[in-house]
Amino acid sequence: MAYVATRGGERAIEQSERLFRAELGQIDAARVAEVKQALPYLVDRVMGEASLYDEDLAALALAQTGGELYEAVLVLRAWRTTQPRLTVAAPIEQDDLFTHRRISAAFKDIPGGQVLGPTLDYSHRVLATDVLTGTPYDPPAVEPAADPAPAHQPSVSAWQAANDLVDLPKPDAATGEAIPDLTREPLLFPSKRAHTLQSLARAETGGVLALGYAAMRGYGQAHPTVNELRLAEAEIVVKHPNGTEFSAGRVKVSQAEVVSKKGERLGLGFAATLGWNEVKCISAATLDLNSKGAPKGSPTEEEFFLYHTEGVEASGFCIHFKLPHYVTFQSSLDAMRDAKATRAAEQEPAE
Amino acid sequence: MKTKATHSDVLTVLARADAARIKSFAETLITPLGEIDVLQSRTGLVMLPMRDTAGGATFHLGEVLVSEAHVTRDGIDGYGMRRGRDLEAAMAMALVDLARACGIETARCEAFCADEAIRQAQADRDTLRCVQATRVDMETF
Repeated sequence: MAYVATRGGERAIEQSERLFRAELGQIDAARVAEVKQALPYLVDRVMGEASLYDEDLAALALAQTGGELYEAVLVLRAWRTTQPRLTVAAPIEQDDLFTHRRISAAFKDIPGGQVLGPTLDYSHRVLATDVLTGTPYDPPAVEPAADPAPAHQPSVSAWQAANDLVDLPKPDAATGEAIPDLTREPLLFPSKRAHTLQSLARAETGGVLALGYAAMRGYGQAHPTVNELRLAEAEIVVKHPNGTEFSAGRVKVSQAEVVSKKGERLGLGFAATLGWNEVKCISAATLDLNSKGAPKGSPTEEEFFLYHTEGVEASGFCIHFKLPHYVTFQSSLDAMRDAKATRAAEQEPAE
Repeated sequence: MKTKATHSDVLTVLARADAARIKSFAETLITPLGEIDVLQSRTGLVMLPMRDTAGGATFHLGEVLVSEAHVTRDGIDGYGMRRGRDLEAAMAMALVDLARACGIETARCEAFCADEAIRQAQADRDTLRCVQATRVDMETF
């Protein structure tokens, strides 16, 4: 591949950016607040893919890029590099999650019961067109129960292990800086499990869904059933200078476990991400479930799905094709012309 | 808050306290605290690891933007770390922590923390009552 340096486009470049931004108009704090309030699930998706949790910055990224998601994630990841890492929090344990939604499609009577939480899963998908003609849509309020749900819910897989259905993994003892970190180390294959799960947590939702869906449709080795799906808030547990642990606040997280029969036991796939994004977690967990022994080059092979769901790299590679490729393309044309001339010469009758 | 709130409980409550209220309260501690040293007032990232329930690995879920403040007075630390980009709120948290550690305005600090703890517990209760309304009362046919 070769590139050619060109000049003369500075004004055009400047004006093209102005033209893009002209459509968005003035961006102020009120617009950012409106994006944050009106589009929480989109804000969550951007935070998850950017691997940076801050609702204000994610809303600003969306406002500033007009909702061009790849650009929003890129600008947020770029901003992240300007910040120092202060510490590594204590690992989030499933049992400690402040749980808003927790369901299982594998077992009806899971310990703690099924709590639907906020979802459109069972709603009619009807567009409220009256809004466009001046009638605001005011959703009916929740009718709260007399008593609160338990803040924390037990693990479904722990219950399955007690019933001799799954083998519970031995918890990894790594903490702090000893935990493998993709933002500071290259992704190598076979991938460390910590790298696989971190990569899936940062992955682009559409890419994960496409490859996960391929596995679900049969281009994989195992059909997933949702063992447990959670939308929750996790505490950020850090340390005071005197060593006291405390929570510096909560962040929204989602996690999914999918399950499939594996001999006489159940095999588990797992994925989680920052923010509430169920489709991504179920798809990513399906890829995790299918990855062991997957054929080379198949959508469920780890190297294939990890490389192809990294949204910033993928979109960056895609848009780089718009850059001037005059030299490479001219070279291809020259080769074509040479081949044509050679063939014509060969076809001429011998004298 | 319980009568005997631990230091951890107090810090957790201060980190979630309403930003406007904690700033306003911390303002009242500046004069009684006198001269202090500000060691840190910055934004930064906290990496958040998670436990994988299928394989047991600990992996990084992503980073969280936080604001941090670290102050001292006569060798005693006051510390604040809160989610988000609000240096003043983190400094306010550090000042309340420092005042408690130095025994300054203790009763007012305890009252503030207790009030915030009640508000937060009530907010959690309200959330969980709405969550409970979505519990499925499963019936098998």
